[in-house]
Amino acid sequence: MKKKLAALITAPILALTMAGCSSGDNGDEGGVDVNRVRVVLGSSSTTADTYQNAHAFTENVGKSLDVNMKADAIGANKAFQALNKAKPDGSTIMFFHDMSYLSVKYGSQPKKFGLDNWTVGPVVSLNPGAAFLTKHDAPYNDMVEAAEWLKDNKSETLTFAVEAGGTSELSLDAFYIWVADTYGDDVAKRIKVFATGSDEEKNQALWSGNVDIIYGSIGGNEQYTKDDVEDKVKEKFLAITASERVEGFDIPTFEEQGIEVDGEPFTFDKEFFVLMPEDIEDSFSTALDDAVAEAIETDDYADELSKNNFKTDYVPLDESTQYIEDKRERLETVIDRAPEFNDLAS
Amino acid sequence: MELFEMFTPMAFVLVVFGVFVGIIFGSIPGLTATMALAVFLPLTFGMDLGEGLALLIGLYVGGISGGMIPAALLKIPGTPSSVATTFDAYPMAQKGFAEKALKIGIVASVIGGIISLVVLYFFAPVLGTVAINFTPVEKFLIILFALTIIASISEKSMLSGIFSGMLGVFVSLIGVFPTNNELRMVPSFLEDYLWDGFSLLPVLIGLFGISEILRNSEQGLKTDKSKKVTLKKAKTDPEARFSLKAFNGQTVNTIRSSFIGTILGILPGVGGSAASLMSYSQAKNFSKQPQKLGEGSREGIIASEASNNGLTGGAMVPLLSLGIPGDSTTAVLLGAFVLQGIQVGPLFIGDNPDLWNGMIIALLFANIVMFLMMFTSIRYFARIIEIPKHVLFPIILVMCVVGSFAINNGVMFDVWTALIFGVLGFVFMKIGIQITTFLIGFILGRDLESNFLDSMQASGGDLFVFFTRSPIDWVLWALIIGSVVFGIMSNRKNSRSAPDAATDSAAV
Repeated sequence: MKKKLAALITAPILALTMAGCSSGDNGDEGGVDVNRVRVVLGSSSTTADTYQNAHAFTENVGKSLDVNMKADAIGANKAFQALNKAKPDGSTIMFFHDMSYLSVKYGSQPKKFGLDNWTVGPVVSLNPGAAFLTKHDAPYNDMVEAAEWLKDNKSETLTFAVEAGGTSELSLDAFYIWVADTYGDDVAKRIKVFATGSDEEKNQALWSGNVDIIYGSIGGNEQYTKDDVEDKVKEKFLAITASERVEGFDIPTFEEQGIEVDGEPFTFDKEFFVLMPEDIEDSFSTALDDAVAEAIETDDYADELSKNNFKTDYVPLDESTQYIEDKRERLETVIDRAPEFNDLAS
Repeated sequence: MELFEMFTPMAFVLVVFGVFVGIIFGSIPGLTATMALAVFLPLTFGMDLGEGLALLIGLYVGGISGGMIPAALLKIPGTPSSVATTFDAYPMAQKGFAEKALKIGIVASVIGGIISLVVLYFFAPVLGTVAINFTPVEKFLIILFALTIIASISEKSMLSGIFSGMLGVFVSLIGVFPTNNELRMVPSFLEDYLWDGFSLLPVLIGLFGISEILRNSEQGLKTDKSKKVTLKKAKTDPEARFSLKAFNGQTVNTIRSSFIGTILGILPGVGGSAASLMSYSQAKNFSKQPQKLGEGSREGIIASEASNNGLTGGAMVPLLSLGIPGDSTTAVLLGAFVLQGIQVGPLFIGDNPDLWNGMIIALLFANIVMFLMMFTSIRYFARIIEIPKHVLFPIILVMCVVGSFAINNGVMFDVWTALIFGVLGFVFMKIGIQITTFLIGFILGRDLESNFLDSMQASGGDLFVFFTRSPIDWVLWALIIGSVVFGIMSNRKNSRSAPDAATDSAAV
């Protein structure tokens, strides 16, 4: 009780200090040359999967590193800018997922924020539940059936809620290419997009009948798929893009449904990783990598992630750059073949 | 989970603490209820769920209510949803009735908060699904309806008011285009700074706070001793003293404004500032003495404060019944649920009756605490007006700068934004651009655009969708037209009865 009261008294002062100050102080605690690390996030939402994964990261890796880490949800552009101006001591690093380089390829972030301008840190976790969903009474139950339905109903369109330059656009692009290859351009051209942002906006667009299919996640959308949910908001999963099924859910993967791009099954595991300034001090990046390796072995980290169906997914520092670059190259071939966003929107 | 097992005595202490800190955040220009929640969110992870929620709910209610303090005393809205509070609370405070203005606002706030709480408790699941029927078409019309306030509050020339409002909308569109991420109206050397456009709060602080300081400085900073005398006389002067008689004849206004706040809170994507502006506009349209609104009228304060606190319960409706946050503050609250592993959505109330009841108790308790805390201590806040200007203004200026810097965790460009818009506001006054209507356009511009674009996307570009989608549209059009006509009529009446009144927007 005393501790809580003490926390209550000091919290406003701390809060105002945290709100007003952004840069980390130099110190010599915790094996690195900083005593506080600001972890800027590529998303400004505190409800989306980036914040949830970042929270697990800052709590557990911060503990291993013995440094106070604070997740700061400021959005992609502001986060890149903060990283651009960051000192090489590790006082500011960025935490985001594959959208960090996809958004540059899609042109929704300037080229100067491309992957080559940063040091890629360790990969730490993944959300295997990125999924396509539709209304519970839609006349199709998976993505292949959706494409068949589109082929059979020549006057119809299939509208997807998509965020321009986001992972939703990438997954839609893969589906579009496969539909075009399998059923022809006439069918594929009836795939349309409804540009929108957050998961909440996508759900609303589905419920109000403005779109047919949305891109959500098992963690965020599972509740709308349960039997006792009112029909108006009831949804069903059509597919996940991850390479493996999620335990406990009967949702097929793209690969299982035979959705391919250039003869290769399309899989996309949405992975979360760290980006650091290009000239980051070796002492910091090594210490951070060691801390991630240590934290990832603890049950606490895995347990926190599993609350929302996320998983630990460690790729160490010395392999992460190659790993992410290979992934980028593979995904960029999809983007290169896909139609322009504006064409899909028209 | 037993109710009182979850809602422990410590939780009650945390509500009190949350309300206290929330009021502080709300009362410092630049620090908002949303920021208070975001800053304290990590602190709640080490607490039990009930205690964590109690703290966040306290912060929420305190943060929204605290916004009225700088709005009334300094003419700087503490939160965007207290913009309309400045219209009457500040002139009333300038007449020496600061304590009275604040107490009217506090009572209106608690009534608005409790009415919205009742709606939340009894109708949350039903209203949650009704909200789905409000597509971007209806949301666009509602924001258009809120914009009709420009007709009501335009001074002297309505054309100048409309121009100022349009200019505000135009400036709000600077930055990245939401549907395809293309930048617009941004010179290349400012790309880094204006990617997301100008932040709302620095603009608001600049236009209301800094420009007002510049205007006062131009006139000289001599302390107006009459105000000091008037404030001290409040104990003996019945006109300066608050009593519940201030609410005589205001029942309809109070209830209507509370419901406007609640209903607009239920509709995600509409926002608190639209609620308070719409309530204000309707208060003026239905007032028997509309010419008095804007000059220190209790009607205006009640309308704004009842509606912005009505929003607190309203915004919880879609959060708890659909898992969709009603505003940016409840979005942070949703984050707290998610990180605790609790899914807020259509099954939440049925699956978590104790948690649901606990939240209602916390909200009710937070409203009561807010009322007691603010009502008993507001006289000390009101004394701000007694501080000589040459002492007060530098403090306000520092608060404006610190608040602007803190908004996005230390972005210097936000400080420049506040200063630039401070100077612009001063220039606007000189050349006849109305600051208030400019700001209203700026606040509502982005939502207006995004709902318009969504409507166009969904309808394939058919403009008739705004008339044909549902019968709700016709009701909204009738309200929009009615509000504009009332606004024009009251504006004309004002111009005829007081041709020399209100020379610039600073005298709102």
